[in-house]
Amino acid sequence: MLFDNPKRWLVIAVLVLVLGAAWILVSKAPPGGTTGGGIPAPHEGFLAPDFSLATASGSTITLSELRGRPLIINLWASWCTPCRAEMPAMESVYNQYKDQGFTILGVNVTSQDNPTKAAAFVEEMGLTFPILYDAQGEASRLYKSSALPTSFFVDKNGVIQRVVVGGPMSEALLRIRVEELLEIE
Amino acid sequence: MFPILQVGPLAIQVPGLILLIGIWLGLSLAEKTAPQRGIPSNTLYNLVFFGLIAGIIGARLSYVIRYPNIFIDNPASIISLNPGLLDLWGGAVTAFIVILIYAQRKKLAVWQTLDALTPFLGVMALAIGLAHAASGAAFGFETDLPWAIELWGAQRHPSQIYETLAAVIILIIMWPKRSIWKTTEPGIYFLTFFAFSAAAHLFLEAFRGDSVLLLGGFRSAQVIAWAALAFSIWGIYRLQNKDRTASG
Repeated sequence: MLFDNPKRWLVIAVLVLVLGAAWILVSKAPPGGTTGGGIPAPHEGFLAPDFSLATASGSTITLSELRGRPLIINLWASWCTPCRAEMPAMESVYNQYKDQGFTILGVNVTSQDNPTKAAAFVEEMGLTFPILYDAQGEASRLYKSSALPTSFFVDKNGVIQRVVVGGPMSEALLRIRVEELLEIE
Repeated sequence: MFPILQVGPLAIQVPGLILLIGIWLGLSLAEKTAPQRGIPSNTLYNLVFFGLIAGIIGARLSYVIRYPNIFIDNPASIISLNPGLLDLWGGAVTAFIVILIYAQRKKLAVWQTLDALTPFLGVMALAIGLAHAASGAAFGFETDLPWAIELWGAQRHPSQIYETLAAVIILIIMWPKRSIWKTTEPGIYFLTFFAFSAAAHLFLEAFRGDSVLLLGGFRSAQVIAWAALAFSIWGIYRLQNKDRTASG
């Protein structure tokens, strides 16, 4: 058996390790080979895909124009119970950290919601952070939204640091994630 | 990629579910074969169970220690079921310490215990591969090969499939009921598994698109895997030689 012959064992060991080291050398990553946050995709480590959406007042907010500010993109709908459950924590965290440049974009998946009900929801919850209406479902498609709520934690370089699908998130979890975002240079 | 299973109002995280099934299957397999390594089944079960509990507590405490003010404001969050507030390294270190203490108290022999745990680790490696496939994490390098998959805006190596296949092959080779593994010296079974896993990582990391790079473009995971491979080969040689001296 292989284990019983020390000499053969030594030859195989050296061969394996030399081949391994050569493989490390051969498979060095070319510049730009790994993501490094350069490609837009709705996943951790990638650039947050850009979108422009209208607010209730008719003005437009473009994600890439907010570069330099850490933010949460929260996809929600008025019929979604966990969305409702986590909104007070969202509002509270927004108020605690907005002075440090942090913001929240509450993206209503209007293509799967009723605009009147969505507006009533915002009113009832007393939300003061920007609410965007995704009437054509553009942002939900870009962010491959498969469940509501979904939150993307984006650092000030525009890179997604965390994705949380489903909810509700507790205020403690939200605050910790925001603190982590603020620590990123 | 299949990250979420929507069941009515519930969004079930598929990767987490796969890992739980992996823990259950892995533990069942390890329990069955532990006695042939001289470790009673219930001792092995307790070892893993205490390790997991300690891991979860440590993973949460790691956040509590880092952000005490937030937990003072929301004390209920210390015990909330939120998996997002679990820190991997804090959990791993605590689990390791508790497993070490338990093994010491039960006077478990290190190599026999590691051998008994190997089937569990083998099944977990497979579960991790499948969890990566479900979440789309640990993704591959861009390529135009015919078996490339569309993921995160590009055609990529199906690195999660490679990883899963490697785990399946290693699990087949290391299947605990094979007669060859019943007669090896204590420790060799575990170290052989460790060597195969390190070799698979060393080889497959080359196809990853999310590698952490060292200076000069070297992939850090490959360097670690190479060192682990060297260590396990040396360990197997030593254990085998010790036997030779003892019996000769």
